[in-house]
Amino acid sequence: MIALFVILIPLAFAVVTGLTGTRRSLAVLFGLVSTLATFALALFLPGSSGVSVPWIPGFGATFTLQPGGAGVVLTLVAALTMIPTVLVAARRVERAPGVFVALLLVMQAGLAGVFLAGDLILFYVAWEVTLIPSLLLLGMFGRDKRRAAVLKYLVYAIGGSFLMLISILAIKPLSGAASYRFADLMAATPHLAGATQVWLFVGLAIGMAVKLPMWPLHSWLIDFNEQNHPSGAADVAGTLYKVGAFGFFAWAMPLLPIGVERVGPVLLALAVVTALYGALAATAQTDIKRLLAYASLSHMGIVGVGIFGLHLAGLNGAIFLLAAQMLSTGGLFLISGMLYERRHSFDLDKFGGLAKSAPALSALSLFVLFTAIGVPGLANFPGEFLSLLGTYQQHPWLAALATLSVIAAGVYGVNFFQRLYQGEEREPTREIGALETFALIPLIAGILWLGLSPAPQLQRIQEQSKLIAAPTATAEAPAPPPAALAVQAGPGALADALGGSR
Amino acid sequence: MNDVVQWAALAPLLALVGSLINAFFGRSLKEPVPGILASLAVAGGFVLAVLAFIGLQGSDHGVQVTLWRYLTAGTLHLDAGFMIDRLSVTMMLIITGVGLLIHIYSIGYMHGDDGNSRYFAELNLFVAAMLVLVMADSFPLMFIGWEGVGVCSYLLIGFWYRDRANPDAGRKAFIVNRVGDVGFLLAMFLTFKAFGTLNIGAVNAAAPAMLYGSATLTLIGLLYLLGAAGKSAQLPLQVWLPDAMAGPTPVSALIHAATMVTAGVYLIARIGAVYAMAPAAASTVAWVGALTAFVAAFAAFAQTDIKKILAYSTISQVGYMIAAVGAGAYWVGIFHVLTHAFFKALLFLTAGSVIHAMNGEQDIRKMGGLGRKMKITGVTALIGTLAISGVPFLAGFFSKDAILSGTLTSGLLAGNGGDVVYILLLITAAMTAAYMFRWYYGIFAGASRVDKHAAEHLHESPPVMTWPLGILALGSIVVGYLGLPEFAFPNLIQRWLEPATAKVDFNTVSVSTDWLLVGLSILMVALGLGVGWWVYHVRKGAPVASLKESNLAGASRGALGFDALYRILFVASGEGVAGGIATLDREVVDRGLTGTGAAVGLLGRLATALQSGFTRAYAFAMLLGVVTLVVVAALTGVLK
Amino acid sequence: MVPTPYYIAVSALLMTIGSVGVLTRRSAIMVFLSVELMLNAANLAIVAFARQWSASGVEPALSGQAAVFIILAIAAAEVAVGLGILVAIFRNRVSTDVDELSEVRL
Repeated sequence: MIALFVILIPLAFAVVTGLTGTRRSLAVLFGLVSTLATFALALFLPGSSGVSVPWIPGFGATFTLQPGGAGVVLTLVAALTMIPTVLVAARRVERAPGVFVALLLVMQAGLAGVFLAGDLILFYVAWEVTLIPSLLLLGMFGRDKRRAAVLKYLVYAIGGSFLMLISILAIKPLSGAASYRFADLMAATPHLAGATQVWLFVGLAIGMAVKLPMWPLHSWLIDFNEQNHPSGAADVAGTLYKVGAFGFFAWAMPLLPIGVERVGPVLLALAVVTALYGALAATAQTDIKRLLAYASLSHMGIVGVGIFGLHLAGLNGAIFLLAAQMLSTGGLFLISGMLYERRHSFDLDKFGGLAKSAPALSALSLFVLFTAIGVPGLANFPGEFLSLLGTYQQHPWLAALATLSVIAAGVYGVNFFQRLYQGEEREPTREIGALETFALIPLIAGILWLGLSPAPQLQRIQEQSKLIAAPTATAEAPAPPPAALAVQAGPGALADALGGSR
Repeated sequence: MNDVVQWAALAPLLALVGSLINAFFGRSLKEPVPGILASLAVAGGFVLAVLAFIGLQGSDHGVQVTLWRYLTAGTLHLDAGFMIDRLSVTMMLIITGVGLLIHIYSIGYMHGDDGNSRYFAELNLFVAAMLVLVMADSFPLMFIGWEGVGVCSYLLIGFWYRDRANPDAGRKAFIVNRVGDVGFLLAMFLTFKAFGTLNIGAVNAAAPAMLYGSATLTLIGLLYLLGAAGKSAQLPLQVWLPDAMAGPTPVSALIHAATMVTAGVYLIARIGAVYAMAPAAASTVAWVGALTAFVAAFAAFAQTDIKKILAYSTISQVGYMIAAVGAGAYWVGIFHVLTHAFFKALLFLTAGSVIHAMNGEQDIRKMGGLGRKMKITGVTALIGTLAISGVPFLAGFFSKDAILSGTLTSGLLAGNGGDVVYILLLITAAMTAAYMFRWYYGIFAGASRVDKHAAEHLHESPPVMTWPLGILALGSIVVGYLGLPEFAFPNLIQRWLEPATAKVDFNTVSVSTDWLLVGLSILMVALGLGVGWWVYHVRKGAPVASLKESNLAGASRGALGFDALYRILFVASGEGVAGGIATLDREVVDRGLTGTGAAVGLLGRLATALQSGFTRAYAFAMLLGVVTLVVVAALTGVLK
Repeated sequence: MVPTPYYIAVSALLMTIGSVGVLTRRSAIMVFLSVELMLNAANLAIVAFARQWSASGVEPALSGQAAVFIILAIAAAEVAVGLGILVAIFRNRVSTDVDELSEVRL
């Protein structure tokens, strides 16, 4: 039931907020109330029961919400990220902030639907529903070249989704499943013939690869990020909407194992290319938004590497990274919005030396930036580490290639920071303000929480990873060396305080 | 006693808290409060380390402190935990002890700098990360400390960020470190594949049961070596350290002399059990160390910056340590870490004293005779110089000697060129004495080349800076006695550390051979110092004056051109590739796919052409359609 | 009697002449004329076959010939309506050139 409310509350508030239109204070109020309430509710998602009612009986579609494992983690982190996003949006969007916030809330609802759906048709509907607000955000609030960006985005998204739809429609009749519920499909699809599984998988794969995004279907992302509203809020929403990986993880791969076996290696290779390509292209960018777009592409490449390595650790890590990058990449986009506020440009050459008059902003930016490039102890690292570790076990060379991207990440990360904050300052800048600090606090808290204690979330994700890869047979004994004396400094108490159930 | 040892786990937390307080509230604290706060945090860590040291006296096992579960993935369950044993405690003592002295020194050195609190926040953070590194009981946790010190190093090198050159130097360090980190990461992945665990203790315990000399173990060893080479500035990743001198001098002393650069040495010593089973990897380690020591010593001769000489000297000395652990003489490597921490930190701090007094001048060609005006700095610098050169009865002598005999007698290196390694290190010892003599003499003795204006400002440093110098100088003399050669005297440090590290076979040699080796190294030192004395004091630098423009000098100054090579090979080509990809993406991949949109539009326009409104065209089309239908029907036999 | 193929040949000839006339004539009256020609060509073919089948006893001749009457009646009606439309168009714009009547388009 909680899952249902996690979807309904943002929707309800979206309607209300949308109607307020231009009243900024109301937009702030409703936005904050909605996102805070949703986040608070989401904390209770783990272990909650789902919902399952018939929806289109003749067709076999049910309305099933299944709060299990990975979906819960993603919904929770997305909910956390939404809090500062609506705050920034409500305060910084010049005209019709209420509409902007409403669109963000609709997106949140749709995302929750995607992550928590237990029925394939519901999943698809949520997938497409979430597309609409992101299109509108770009089209209504974007920058001067938004039309071309919208068109490109639309063509890619619809093109992919169309193929996905064909596969989705075909899967039930072909496999003879009782309904589109995940459990029913899981029982029936593994018996499908290999060739059938392959083409069904390919159909799903293309649609999901566009959203991942995976090279060579990634070009929409660059313009999407470049042309979105300068506050960065729509870009954060876009970051949350990278649901392609989740689609693979939760639906395509568990349901079609033979398809995965045959097509997987190709996807893995493409993921490696994406990781390296994105990181390298990022190092050559001088526009902040484009740099962040390519960087984000690179991270999603690593997510792909983790997923298609088909190792339990890699799968856990990949989805964890998916959640972590919501916070770090989202944070970077919000920071880019803050930078735009100060110089009205996204051109790196217009900045420099900001650390002098904005040291706090500089420090916080560094923190988020280092999270994004995978510095250990912060959120992205456990995900990146496990993704690469897992895939290395079966595909060492591909994983090693993907690991090289950390060098490029170091380059673009440090370059980014230096061109903004180091060197001589042209003109004094405003130090970080109250709004901006409040915006970054939830993200930083989330980064520390995920970075220092990833195990509980990894455990949750594993519930779904198990459906794809079996735990490895190697015996693991984290036993201290036989001669040492082990002292347990209250791991139980500390673990409970930090993240609940194991 | 275990409880006492266990508390050492709090040491990083103290440093972290110190860092956070300075980070958030430092701006509003008046000097010297931030510095005192930071020093107290480190002092607390030092006390805890001493307590742990005492606590571990009786047992040669360590104490495991498990904190919380960090990672879980199938069969991989990794807890964040510390292993406080003799090896880690030794490192902790060095980090917090020398670190404390440097923090106190910094109070004086960074006086008046408006980034004062930021400096101490970053320095404390560094100490915290370094402590985590040495105490970690698993590779990922160690990696957290590993990259943590890298981040702090980056921040501190580029501390005076207004001048672009400084952050650029920091960036270089960070990127080169990242290359090494790739090695560390891949090593971790392979370790998990081979051992099924990432817990260091478990890996060390399982290693002896593995196939001796197997490709997997060798590869693991080589990959960790790559990581170590990055962090410890060894060939081929040594290029960042000379540039790192852009940071404040105490930073160079702490991070780039005493601690961070020794992390690689610690790593290899820590997993000595793996290297003991992979002689090829171990030999590679030793070779890398020896070659680096030699090349860096060569480069030190033509440098003219007071800190750059010390930087190359550090690279060279770390090369000694790496060679030692490569040979399997793990306690020896750590011993040299200890002695080097004292005299190198001392040397850097004296350099800082000089720079401070000379108002920022760092070119030794503009110095000379400073020992007369700065007595304490001069004397302590001399002690440091003699110690690093390996003059008997000072610290460096004992540790360097142990390294030399270790590489010669190592079972791991036998057949893999152990004797060549020995010879390289021996020659380098002579070179070390020579270039360090040049350093000392050129700054503190001889005729003064100091600019008149600067000479007026020359003064000895305040007590807050000279006291640490004194203590470090004392240490540079005394610390060596912990490691008296075992063949004749009790070797305390060997007895302390050996149980905590892996067992490697060494050839035993007769006592007379041992004395012979000692004599040989003393000879080298005398040779180096003698040459230095003759060239600079007796002949006032005349013999080398003509060499200044030679190719040899050029090669030395450019440190054999690694930097230039890398700039072309990696930086330029990297930028080219990146730019190429960016352009490719924009022009080709993008257009290629949006081209389909244009194609669809084109088709649409063609279709529109059909609807012309032209009646006769419609009629013609109809006729055509009917005829086609009829023909097809006739041909397919529908009409029968 | 004259063999049926000859009638069909004439019918085909007339049909062709009529089609060509429809497609190539610019005057609307001539188009109508050609359409009539095509209709009568069809009539001829129907009558020829009607006689052939009745002679061999398959079908009574009347069914074919009845068809001809219906076609003739429809043709007459079509011409009447068509000429009416044409006169209306002629009143609006002086020419009856088909090429100028191109408003039926997208």
